[in-house]
Amino acid sequence: MIYENPPIPEGINVSREHPLKEFFQLTIGLALVTALAVAALAYGMGFLARSIPFSVEQRLAKPYLGPLQEQSEIEAYLQQLADRLTAVHPLPPGMTVSVHYLDSDTTNAMATLGGQIIVFRGLLQEMPHENALAMVMAHEIGHIRHRDPIVGLGRGVVIGVALATLAGMSGNDIVGNALGSTGIMTLLKFTRDQERDADADAVVAVAALYGHTGGADAFFRTLLLPAAEVPGVAAPQFLSTHPLTETRVHAINEHAASAGYNTTGATTQLPEPIHALIGVEDSATATDSD
Amino acid sequence: MDFLNLIIFVVLLGLGYGVGRHQEASHYRSIFAREKQLQSLLIIQSRYPPALDPPPQSQLVTGSVVVSVDFFRVFVANLRSLVGGRLTSYESLLDRARREAVLRMKEEAHALGANMIVNVKFESVSLYKEQRNTVQSVEAMAYGTALIPGHR
Repeated sequence: MIYENPPIPEGINVSREHPLKEFFQLTIGLALVTALAVAALAYGMGFLARSIPFSVEQRLAKPYLGPLQEQSEIEAYLQQLADRLTAVHPLPPGMTVSVHYLDSDTTNAMATLGGQIIVFRGLLQEMPHENALAMVMAHEIGHIRHRDPIVGLGRGVVIGVALATLAGMSGNDIVGNALGSTGIMTLLKFTRDQERDADADAVVAVAALYGHTGGADAFFRTLLLPAAEVPGVAAPQFLSTHPLTETRVHAINEHAASAGYNTTGATTQLPEPIHALIGVEDSATATDSD
Repeated sequence: MDFLNLIIFVVLLGLGYGVGRHQEASHYRSIFAREKQLQSLLIIQSRYPPALDPPPQSQLVTGSVVVSVDFFRVFVANLRSLVGGRLTSYESLLDRARREAVLRMKEEAHALGANMIVNVKFESVSLYKEQRNTVQSVEAMAYGTALIPGHR
C-alpha cells in the first residue's frame, strides 16, 4: 500500500458565495414577507373592526370611564366645541362624542373607544386661540368618525400575537426583534395614514365651523419650535406613529387650499376658563426662574 | 425598537461582519501556509499501522479548537433557519475549525519527530447546547496515533 496526502482542492466544504449576498437576500426577503403579512392583517382587521357596531364599542368603554366622569366648566366648554364641530360636519347616525378634561401636563389629546375624547391641560395651555383648539378637537373627532380606536385595538391584538409568534419561532431574540420591528414599522405606516386622514377630516370640519382654515395649523406650528431644541437624535418618519410635524403642517394647508377653503381669517379668542389655565403656567414659570 | 437600538444593531452587525471577514481571511492564509509546511507528515484514517521495520514508537496526538460565531453570522444563520437551506455562514467557520484542529495535531506530532499519524478521528461538540441568547460556540477536535520512526 502506498500512503500519500495529495492537496485537497478548496471550496468543497465552504460556499464561495459572498456572505453579503445571502444576508441581503434573506433580510430583504423576510422583511418583505413580514411587511406583507402585517399589511394583510392590518387591512383585514381594519375591515372587521369597522363592522363592530358603535354601540358595542360604547359598551366596551363604559367600565373604564369612572375617573373621567367629573364635570367642570372647562369640560363643558370642550364638549360644546365638539358639539359645534359635529353640528357643521355631522357624524354617521348613532355615533356620539363625549369630551373629558384631565388635569395633566401632557401636551396631548386622544380619542378612544366609544367616542371618548380626552383633552389634557398641557394641550390647552399651548393653544393660542380657539381655531387651533378646534383643529385638534376636529382631528380627534375624525379618528372617531373613521373608527380608529377600535381598529387600533383590533390591529394591536392580532398583529401583536402574530409578531410574538414569529419572534418565538426564530431561534434567537435578535432575529425575533428585527422581524418584530419590521412588523411594527409596517403598522406605523397605517397609524400615520390614520393621522393624515383625521387631519384631512379636521380641515373640513374647521372650515365648515369658521368659514376659513386660518390659524388651524397654529398648534402644530408651536410644536415645530421646541422640536429643534430637543437633545439627541430626532427619529426619522418611518419610526414614528405620527407624520412629521412639518409634513403635517404642509399637508393641512395643502388640503385646505386644494379644497378651495379660505386659508386666512380672523381667529376666535379662547374663553376665560382656558385663559386662567394659561395664567397658571405663566406664574409657575415665573417662580421657577426665581 | 427605537432609533438608538436600530443604530446599535446596525453597528454590531457591521462590526461582526467586518471583523469576522478580516479574521477569516487572515486565518485561511495561515492555514494554507501551515498545511503546505506539514504536507509531508501523512495523516491516515486506517486503524491499522503499516508494518514498518524497525517497528515505530506510537503515541496519541490531539489538536483541539474552540470557535465562536460573530453577531453577523448568528443573524444570517437564524434568518436562514426560518426558511431552510445551507447554513453557509457557519460552514466556513467549521471548515476552519477542523483544519486548525488537524494542524495542531500535526504540529504536536511533528514536535515528537513523527512522520505519520494513523487512525485519525474527528469529534465536534456544541458548547452552547441550544440555549437561547447564549454565545454559540463549537469545539472541533482531531486525534490519532502518531508513528515515530524506530531505531535499530
